[in-house]
Amino acid sequence: MDKPEKLMIDGKRLDGRSPEELRPFKIVAGALERADGSAYVEMGNNKVFAAVYGPREMHPRHHALPDQAVLRCRYNMAPFSVDDRKKPGPNRRSIEISKVTREALEPVMFLELYPRSVIDVFVEVLQADAGTRTAGINAASVALADAGIPMKDLVSSVAVGKVEETVVMDLFKEEDQWGTTDMPIAMIPRKKAITLLQMDGHFTEEEFKYALDLASRGCTQIYEAQRQALKEKYTMRKEEE
Amino acid sequence: MIHVKTRDLVLPGQLIAEGKYKTRDGAFREGENIFSSVVGLADVREETISVIPLGGQYIPRVGDMVIGVVIDDHRAGWIVDIKSTYTATLLVSDFLRQKVDLFKEDISKILTIGDVVAVEVRSVDERMDILLEGGRPGLGRIKSGKMIEISPMKVPRVLGKKGSMFDVIQNGTGCKLMVGRNGRIMVWGKDEGMINNAVEAIFTIEREAHTSGLTDRIRLMLEKMKSEVN
Amino acid sequence: MAEIVSRVKRDYIASLIQQGKRADGRATDQFREVSVEKDLIKTADGSARVKIGKTHVLVGVKLQKGEPFPDTPDSGVLIVGSELLPMASPTFEVGPPREEAIELARVVDRGIRESESIDLDKLVIKSGEEVWSVFIDIDVLDHDGNLIDASALAAIAALTDVKALKEEGWTLPEFPLKEKPVAVTVVKVNGKLIVDPKLDEEQVMDARLTIVTTEDDSICAMQKGCAGSFQKEEIEQAYVIARGKAAELRKLLG
Repeated sequence: MDKPEKLMIDGKRLDGRSPEELRPFKIVAGALERADGSAYVEMGNNKVFAAVYGPREMHPRHHALPDQAVLRCRYNMAPFSVDDRKKPGPNRRSIEISKVTREALEPVMFLELYPRSVIDVFVEVLQADAGTRTAGINAASVALADAGIPMKDLVSSVAVGKVEETVVMDLFKEEDQWGTTDMPIAMIPRKKAITLLQMDGHFTEEEFKYALDLASRGCTQIYEAQRQALKEKYTMRKEEE
Repeated sequence: MIHVKTRDLVLPGQLIAEGKYKTRDGAFREGENIFSSVVGLADVREETISVIPLGGQYIPRVGDMVIGVVIDDHRAGWIVDIKSTYTATLLVSDFLRQKVDLFKEDISKILTIGDVVAVEVRSVDERMDILLEGGRPGLGRIKSGKMIEISPMKVPRVLGKKGSMFDVIQNGTGCKLMVGRNGRIMVWGKDEGMINNAVEAIFTIEREAHTSGLTDRIRLMLEKMKSEVN
Repeated sequence: MAEIVSRVKRDYIASLIQQGKRADGRATDQFREVSVEKDLIKTADGSARVKIGKTHVLVGVKLQKGEPFPDTPDSGVLIVGSELLPMASPTFEVGPPREEAIELARVVDRGIRESESIDLDKLVIKSGEEVWSVFIDIDVLDHDGNLIDASALAAIAALTDVKALKEEGWTLPEFPLKEKPVAVTVVKVNGKLIVDPKLDEEQVMDARLTIVTTEDDSICAMQKGCAGSFQKEEIEQAYVIARGKAAELRKLLG
């Protein structure tokens, strides 16, 4: 893919969005059969499943902690999820993303309720655009709630960045590849507490403050959609007759 | 100040109330605010706020009758899977009413791996060590029947108010049921057509647990299934 | 992490099958509901999702330029991979593919390769130097039994979804797919043969035989699995069942 001449035209982005707009997104709670909890998320062209098992017994046992549950996350990309086929199995990138995903979710967990056990979170990216980790965290958070695991709140996530001197919300592939800055963020929107923050590129102080504010707005919108997805699955329906 | 009504659907992080209420399962306090920690139905009592979860693992409580599967044995008893986060222990002395000399008896003659048992939760400690009891009438080894599993949170719906749903299924199919609090259910019947009707009724209840008028609908469903067979 | 199957469940399933019945009311030669959807993944050149009951498999096909194998300088390359994702079952673990996943990929591979489903000779860009590699990757998302049939069907469905590439080096009018092999696994429980085993039926099966047949009903690949055995008559009977079911499944490919 060649670099486009411009990433912003007349204040609009190449996919027609304004700088502060999210891509179209979709969140479904309970999208898989076997898992204790699950979710399916689309953000732009990302297609991601998350599944949760547990709390269950830790194998091998010596990996368990005596006074709390272990939260274990595995982020994985399907080989066909990217343009150049990805070799199956973990790599340095997926191991890092698994770690920051876990740390994005840990602040809302009550792990002390389940000593010696493990809560497994599996994220599978079927189709990658940009921001797969943020889509994965959004799905994982809904899947944890769907599994009935106690949480202080849901975690919502979006990447913000900079293309051609403009701070933008929720980068898509071309912007991720050719833009100046990418900053994935996860937060507990109600508390404005940030649980994932990574950044590469360049921000001035002013841009950074604005980017944080923009991310916060995006997370709030996603948070509402996550809540809606759970409500849709669990709302008590009255008999129609 | 209370923000929701009893039986309202609440989600993790949702503000339920402000003030000096006690919190129980499914709710937690931060300062003056009380939030839900699970997807569930709010239960607002005069002084206590809790949330009845709509999903999640079975949490063993003393006195619960559960259906377990023996997954391992040790010197003095068996390890039993009770479909919970933690496995439980059934000691030989809590299973047989007579004394057993553990040095002489081969306990695998009493229960072996793969056996199904109806047991009661005798104790649960802080480390989540769970002890079971299986020696009383109505408990013990289950030799045959169809075993199915549903979400433990849907068990109250399968029983119904004062056992009304349970009766509807038994009467509508001629089958006998045993409902473990952990979501394992045994179904016994003369022919598998009726067993399958009972199973389908139970899965329908699980799927539609959040709808109203369910008992009548299940009664009609079973009547219809019965007439289709005849 | 193996699952311990309760004796009660084992006895119940086995005794019903002996009477020619099944725990979920199906006939012995009846599949669960099967659905095939195509063209789901933009980053793949072909993709398909197959659901058989609660079993859910997604396959993506990607075509990439690469070197041919030294012993077949005038053929494209076919590579089938599979991941039994730990999200699909409480018993699947994180880690390198284990024998179950490898066998799954190899059985799917054999059906496609031996039926000459793909005309690999047409996928040569420059003899001995550059060819198209066809990567078929199987993602198992939900495991409720019969993964081989679901994966093989998803793989062939995804191949029918591959369109002519718009890349340099691609000269064919369409993807050279010649044959639609379909795998049907026949399972023996308590001396009786059944198709499309659910997970709990697989947990009590004695033996398993996968037969991959082509459109003219001939066999292109087989795989026997599990500790039990088959009599010659049973294998002949399994072949009759397999080709009948394959014809039904093939209709779903569109």
